[in-house]
Amino acid sequence: MILPKFEYNKAENIAKAIAFYESYNGQVRYLAGGTDLIPLVKLRLSTPMAIIDLKGIEELKTISHQGRSLVVGANVTLFELKNNDMVRDYFPVLHESLDKTSCETLQMRGTIGGNILQGTRCLLYNKSLEWRTALGFCFKMGGETCNVVPNAKACFSNYCSDNALSLIALSASVNLSGPQGNREMKLEKIFSGDGRNPFTLMPGEILTKIRIPMKRSKGAYEKLRVRGSIDYPLLGVAVSIKDNAGRVCVGGIGSTPLVYSLENINKDTFTNVAKKAYNNARPVANTALSPGYRKKMVSVLIQRAIKRALKEGK
Amino acid sequence: MKTTKVTFHVNDEKVTVQARPYETLLETLRERFDLTGVKEGCGMGACGACTVVMNGIPLRSCLVLTPEVNGASITTIEGLRKDGKLHPLQEAFMEKGAVQCGFCTSGMILTAKALLDRKKRPTKKDIIKTISSNICRCTGYKKIIEAVEEAGKKKA
Repeated sequence: MILPKFEYNKAENIAKAIAFYESYNGQVRYLAGGTDLIPLVKLRLSTPMAIIDLKGIEELKTISHQGRSLVVGANVTLFELKNNDMVRDYFPVLHESLDKTSCETLQMRGTIGGNILQGTRCLLYNKSLEWRTALGFCFKMGGETCNVVPNAKACFSNYCSDNALSLIALSASVNLSGPQGNREMKLEKIFSGDGRNPFTLMPGEILTKIRIPMKRSKGAYEKLRVRGSIDYPLLGVAVSIKDNAGRVCVGGIGSTPLVYSLENINKDTFTNVAKKAYNNARPVANTALSPGYRKKMVSVLIQRAIKRALKEGK
Repeated sequence: MKTTKVTFHVNDEKVTVQARPYETLLETLRERFDLTGVKEGCGMGACGACTVVMNGIPLRSCLVLTPEVNGASITTIEGLRKDGKLHPLQEAFMEKGAVQCGFCTSGMILTAKALLDRKKRPTKKDIIKTISSNICRCTGYKKIIEAVEEAGKKKA
């Protein structure tokens, strides 16, 4: 598929990237690995005046141990992060979700920052312009209806990052830089709850670093998908446990992941979390699998992930 | 529209193009250099038919803008033959009958080449995992896996 016209600029540092953003009056998209952005632009779901390439920014490419955190630059590729010894030893849940993300070739191109900030997806949204025009535009395309759920007031597109779920389970936070300055926030706070515009990032903001508290954990990631490779999650469950307490994060259903804490882990506490998540999950008919099946699997995968985390992740 | 001067290596040859900013590497390789061994399948990064090797790693050329590859070194299927001799992977694919329609073959071979270059003795599990990046709709995966194993043995 042929790309629409846009200009290309490469930024050597964050200040330069933000300057480009301002010089185009915000009509730009930031490019890292491009595995999410380029398909969106090809489908005319995003039509920027210019693309700002962030791959030349050296400080976004490093993984370092600072104080009590592992600090990961947003442009570190998924493959590099997966093969990092510290990730393997300290954060098994993240190692697993990285391994289950897409396929090896795309892991070598896709970045952790881009993976976190990927667009939300829907069976009736990620389609060509002609296809979408024939059906009529939905909320997320600027229309006034949802094509999946008649008379709905909201957008039910799914957030499909595997690794954000693991990072939330690990209580990670993110650093953002934008025209208004720098800030740090908990990863789970970047979600707006609205599928049309799923993130609370301010215009022009760039995700620069991810900070993961440096503490050895047990963990597991369970992913529901049709094929064993390439697919986005139709449901993802991340569990991370430290000292008999932990966090469970459920994603792939709706635009915001669900987060639960686990305390005094025993059979009752984790069936309770599974029940709670089952009741809160609201899948709709916008993926390759039925909503009823995905809802049932929430409870199954949570219990499976917790059991596996307790057994394996020593 | 402003074009960008991009200099890179294709199959060990230094080239310079004035690329459109919205031109993909796939288009550049096929249309400017006639390297039609690079195939366009889905055009969305899902199928792997357009895979080339960039600086030792496999890359979906349909997802990459040509200005992004400035300074890089690209290998396509056409560049695997050295001194009139085919690459061991190409030989193994023929020997094992790992080619049916042939559309996925160049992507498969280049993905496998990157694996053999970074891992001395890949296990069958490693090969399956790597090859699962690419789609073969004739579903000849078994033969492809056998061919990569064979080439891996010969190389080691």
